Amino acid sequence: MASRNDQIVFDPRGIVEATPRDLAPRRGRLDGARLGILDNTKWNANRLLKKTAALLQDRFAFGAVNYYRKESFSKDADPALIATIAAENDLVLTAIGD
Amino acid sequence: MAERAQVAEPSERNLVRAPMGADLVEWYFEQGWTDGLPVVPPTRAKVDAMVAALGGDPHRVECKVPPRHGSLTREVLAINLVLAGCKVEYAPVVRAALLALTTKAFNLNGVQATTHMASPLVIVNGPIAASIGMNGGCNAFGSGNRANATIGRAIRLVLLNVGGGWPGELDKSTLGHPGKYTYCVAENEADSPWAPYHVEKGFAPEDSAVFAIAAEPPHSVTNHVADDPEGILDSICSAMSTIAHNNAVSSGHCAVVIGPEHARTIAGKGWTRHDVRAYLWMNAHNLFAALSFNHRYGKIYNRNLPRHYRRELDSRIPIVPSPDHIHLFVIGGAAGRFSAFIPGWGHMSAPVLRSITDGGAGPVCVDGTCYL
Repeated sequence: MASRNDQIVFDPRGIVEATPRDLAPRRGRLDGARLGILDNTKWNANRLLKKTAALLQDRFAFGAVNYYRKESFSKDADPALIATIAAENDLVLTAIGD
Repeated sequence: MAERAQVAEPSERNLVRAPMGADLVEWYFEQGWTDGLPVVPPTRAKVDAMVAALGGDPHRVECKVPPRHGSLTREVLAINLVLAGCKVEYAPVVRAALLALTTKAFNLNGVQATTHMASPLVIVNGPIAASIGMNGGCNAFGSGNRANATIGRAIRLVLLNVGGGWPGELDKSTLGHPGKYTYCVAENEADSPWAPYHVEKGFAPEDSAVFAIAAEPPHSVTNHVADDPEGILDSICSAMSTIAHNNAVSSGHCAVVIGPEHARTIAGKGWTRHDVRAYLWMNAHNLFAALSFNHRYGKIYNRNLPRHYRRELDSRIPIVPSPDHIHLFVIGGAAGRFSAFIPGWGHMSAPVLRSITDGGAGPVCVDGTCYL
């Protein structure tokens, strides 16, 4: 809390200009949904994702299961790839497998 | 790293209140706005002088620094320059380095966040290095030179304070390395038998430039016996030809530093910079059998190596994809038959070479630098 006994000093952080965005609405039922899997291409990501997808497929009857790969694990996914995933799927599973 | 205080978001005026009479060195520690070493508390006069050295216009945004994506205005840069202990004449070098680091091809977001130990290494060429007293000679990568130490430190403070690369928060490095305090040197142009690095890449000798690469620490190369290029370079090839560094498994770019004694021996036989880079590229390699552990953990393809590489067990796998991916510098003191190999982070980041004196043009991308 500011008081008359304060001194003014410099803050080295700089501001962040960002617009908060809400999460997409959660989907109630997974049966019939189209599941997208985004492999970030880390060493073991594909193993982790494929085994997780198999476990999910044991429990739910997905309408489709689509597999995608980022070009590089350390770079943002291509916006065109993100757009494709959004258009072709109802939910997306992704993971890092280091 | 000490626990950082939960401090309100900064204001556009970059001002905050501290208790009157507080020891500001301790107060900056308490805010978590240091690299673990004491800082120089900024005053209005010092910040204004630094802004003037950057060209005035304190609210001009130079770049945004990931992964926090904080806005680096000239005033925010000036505050960090003062905190680091920089002289005003260092300001253009730090500014150019940060513009290089925030060039898209460098992928600073990944460099800051990775579990790997890579840190940006900045190497300065051109007359500005000598004019501000940078060290490219004896103990260049070590301590004792204010310009090297505080330019590198100012870059790191910006990566921490503005970029949010706090260990354990947005910086996930398993180990880090000492260059995460400061990692900035000059090329020893005066004692080099070859043209400076930036001249090899198309700049004029009177231009000043910064080169930035995401890098592991230097690995010393000792050779006190060879009196020919091949012998010296075979020792460097030996340092390069291991499966442990990140170039081995993730390709990309690396730096090689030739000590002045080695450089004189090599150049004395008529070898050019290109001869050195080409020899290193041709003769440093790993066998795919070693990189794949003979497939004893399952069939390994390694998607991080270029797709055009053969992946038979007896395939020779280059350390980097071409001689242009080896960035060659002459650095070091007059005595000692030492050189160094500096592995890069991998294909995930491209080094950037950028003018210091151009007043704001984009990066210069030639040969293997700023490889897109």
